[in-house]
Amino acid sequence: MKTQEPRDLFPGALEMMILQTLRSRPLHGYALVQQIKRTSNELLKIEEGSLYPALQRLLKEGLVSAEWGVSSTNRRVRIYELTPRGAKHLAREVSRFEQMFEGITRVLAPAKS
Amino acid sequence: MSWITQIFSRRRVYDDLSADIRSHLEERADELMKSGMSRKEAAETALREFGNATSLEQSGREVWRWSFLENSLMDVRYGLRVLRKNPGFTAASVLTLALGIGANTAIFTILNSVLLSNLPVKNPQQLVLLTNPDEHGRQIGFGDGERDLLTYPEFQDLSARNQVFDGILAADSYIQKQDVSIGASGESESGSDAQIGLVSGSYFSVLGVNPILGRIFTTEVDRVRDANPVAVISYGFWQSRFGGDPSVIGKKIRLLSTTYDVIGVTPAGFVGETVGYSTDIWLPLTMQAEAIPGRDYLSMETNPFEKREWLQVMGRLKPGVSLAQANSSINLLFQQYLKAQTETGMSADQKRTFMTQRIAMIAGGRGASTLQAKFGQPLQILMGVVGLVLLIACANVANLLLARAASRQREIAVRVAMGAGAGRLFRQVLTESVLLAGIGGAFGLLIARWADSALLRLVSGGRTPVPLDVHLNAAVLTFTLGVSMLTGILFGLVPALRASRAEIGTIIKGTSRGVVGGAGHRSRMTMGKVLVVVQVTLSLLLLVAAGLFVRSFQKLSEVNLGYDRDHLLVFRVMPTTYGYRGPALNQLYKNMLDRIAALPGVRSVSLSEDGLITNQDSNDPVSIEGQPPKVGDGANDSRSDQVGPNYFSTTGIPILMGREIGPQDSGNAERVGLINQTFARHFYGDSNPIGTRVSIITPAGHEDFVVVGVVADAKYHSMRDKPSRRFYIPFFNPMGNVGGAFVIVREAGNSAAMPASLREIVKQSAPNLPALDISTMNEIVDDSLTVDRMVTKLSGVFGGLAIVLSCIGIYGIMAYSVAGRTNEIGIRMALGAQRGAVLWMVLRESLLLVLIGVAIGLPAVVAAGRLITSLLFGITPADPLALFLATGLMFLIGALASYIPANRAMRIDPMMALRYE
Repeated sequence: MKTQEPRDLFPGALEMMILQTLRSRPLHGYALVQQIKRTSNELLKIEEGSLYPALQRLLKEGLVSAEWGVSSTNRRVRIYELTPRGAKHLAREVSRFEQMFEGITRVLAPAKS
Repeated sequence: MSWITQIFSRRRVYDDLSADIRSHLEERADELMKSGMSRKEAAETALREFGNATSLEQSGREVWRWSFLENSLMDVRYGLRVLRKNPGFTAASVLTLALGIGANTAIFTILNSVLLSNLPVKNPQQLVLLTNPDEHGRQIGFGDGERDLLTYPEFQDLSARNQVFDGILAADSYIQKQDVSIGASGESESGSDAQIGLVSGSYFSVLGVNPILGRIFTTEVDRVRDANPVAVISYGFWQSRFGGDPSVIGKKIRLLSTTYDVIGVTPAGFVGETVGYSTDIWLPLTMQAEAIPGRDYLSMETNPFEKREWLQVMGRLKPGVSLAQANSSINLLFQQYLKAQTETGMSADQKRTFMTQRIAMIAGGRGASTLQAKFGQPLQILMGVVGLVLLIACANVANLLLARAASRQREIAVRVAMGAGAGRLFRQVLTESVLLAGIGGAFGLLIARWADSALLRLVSGGRTPVPLDVHLNAAVLTFTLGVSMLTGILFGLVPALRASRAEIGTIIKGTSRGVVGGAGHRSRMTMGKVLVVVQVTLSLLLLVAAGLFVRSFQKLSEVNLGYDRDHLLVFRVMPTTYGYRGPALNQLYKNMLDRIAALPGVRSVSLSEDGLITNQDSNDPVSIEGQPPKVGDGANDSRSDQVGPNYFSTTGIPILMGREIGPQDSGNAERVGLINQTFARHFYGDSNPIGTRVSIITPAGHEDFVVVGVVADAKYHSMRDKPSRRFYIPFFNPMGNVGGAFVIVREAGNSAAMPASLREIVKQSAPNLPALDISTMNEIVDDSLTVDRMVTKLSGVFGGLAIVLSCIGIYGIMAYSVAGRTNEIGIRMALGAQRGAVLWMVLRESLLLVLIGVAIGLPAVVAAGRLITSLLFGITPADPLALFLATGLMFLIGALASYIPANRAMRIDPMMALRYE
């Protein structure tokens, strides 16, 4: 049997997860990646670097803001923070996602049995 | 555009992204090293785990790319909307800018054509000129030092032996104008003039010009003389005389007594290698004896000192060969050629002089030019003049912008409150300015188009039209674009800076004095005043320049030529070209002169070889019998002319001593001659020259004449001629072969029918001989002053423009000042000030501005004056009258411009003013 490759994330998924992760506290790029990996229990194989274009998109839309600061390891890093606008956007997207998820689950339900 | 500031913020964004990614990789690498990896391994692993770092960074950048562009577009759209909402301001600014930019573009277009642009040939940067691009004509004899033109044998030698050129061409440096008929002898129509260029077989291939029909010359046509009656015609000639007939190849044309086959047509836009000449028909050099009969310019000279230099020569450098290398190589060959010529029995002294001849090679991409020498400097000066006009225009627009800025403060403040950064504001206001300048520039292009055709007409008013390409091309467009942008940035910078520093608090609250009050008002006033002072200074410069040119031109046109200007007509005949020789030739002349003398209204008639105010002249060394030669370079040289009987009474040159040349001075009689005053003074001092013998030194030996008279000095080249030595010998007892003659007719009145009568007489005397260029002396003089007239008129126009702009500028600032001082004026009047005093108060302010401007301007004028000295005649740049008038005019303008605001100030009702907050 061929090894199943994990599916690509749907567009917007990465952004959503970044926003959610930043909801608890501001993080810098590296820490953000680690956090997402940990939380997803390594189920999602995300290319580490793909975080950065996603962060730029979020910056451009004004959903996060960035400031240079110092990390716990005394390194000069760029710390990303969720903006109020970002929080609102996140809430909207999450509810949309849950709606979609529920819909798919319902459709797939008969196949399970 | 706002991309200037965009670049800075975009750089920051990109740098941040870069740094972020780098720091991520470092952190991962550190972590890996803690678990035991080597530094190198850790770095590599971190990079691998990251993904494709380069492409990811690129994707990150692209997120922003459209954003920046979007911002620019938004700025542009917003700017357009703002301009639309203020039609008065926009119209005024656009008009001002259009005039300023248009003037600059107009002059630049011509400057580009005359001085900068390359010939429309292949790879012009590979071309070099071996001859002098400003020299046109034939130089017979010897000249030492750098060569202006080359002889045909010299060209053949260089062509055969050079190693540095891919190809070398020669072309007659002078365009012949001849009657051309379509069809071989006996067939169809006789026609009008065409301009004929004689060229070597390599001409078209070296230049890289490919025919659009038929073929071009090859080196075949150079092999045998008089054996290739073929012609290549220009696109223009093909259209006008053949109607663009596609079967023109093989058709015949007739020039003088030879029929040529048309073998090719050149592309549109190519009119030869000389800017200012527009060649219609090219013939091979080897057909010279047919095209220019009675002369041999192709054979090797019998005496090396009697060279016939008439060719412009150009070469195309081989790849990898530099101009310097080619120059040395060619000069080496040239020296060898000359050396061989010295083996014909020259004395050591002669050898030394002979070997000083050399070739001065220069870049040839611009070709030769008949216009550079004449128009080069005046154009550059005019460029400076219009530059000043543009600056004045910019000052006006800047002031307008500042005025508007005051009323825009609320709008800007609101935008700041809503989050627009200083950078964004700066960009946005600057965009408006550049937009304004761009629109002005577009209209300026239209104005320039119209102005250039008017200019060309002005300059071509004389007998020969000036063929200049003034169409829109890349260079002109680039120039206009560049000037527009610079202009926009120039006057938009300060308002943009101010907008970006807007202080929200004071603006939204509104100050106690309202829109025109407070600190904003004062600083706006200062800026405005500075701008006006700048305008005054620049205008003064322009006015003085215009005044100087006007006075100079006046003096120039009133110059005494030394002969009668008002009753002379001159025309030219070239009978040798049409086959007349020997006794028949002299008979022809005598017949013509007799018939003309018999015309009613003709007081007297004569002829001369070199004419009056032409480019033809002779210069030879002379030796006075019984006198040792004078010391100094050229101290024994004298110019000369060969003149017919009654020359001096016809022209009106006063005879100071002795007699003039008469009918008896012809044939084999002992040759007599006259000398002019400068000649007499130089060689004879105070003693009587009559009866002495003068020897003219020629390469063949010497020709003598006996002095029978002394005449006053006269001008022969231009109105600016300095007196030079000149002698006159009889036309009918000449030295050498005379090719043609200028016939000079003195009439009693100014008959309009005279030219036609003269033409008729010439036709009667010789049926196929044309009378060329019949003109009155006044017309000839006017023609010679074309450039000066152009400069004078244009500087007058630009001076006027400057005055109008400055007037508007002063008016603007005074109106603003009065509006701001309304309160103060009201108080003064309430306290008893008279209306007159108020008027004076306002006037004083404006005159003070002018005074400061003039104070700065006058020294600047004196300094800048040096730049235009070469164009001035008879006055110095520091001419007191011009300075006085210009200064007075500026004060007058200042007073005039403030008249309306002052009036308004006078009429202020104290009660209203006091209530005005």
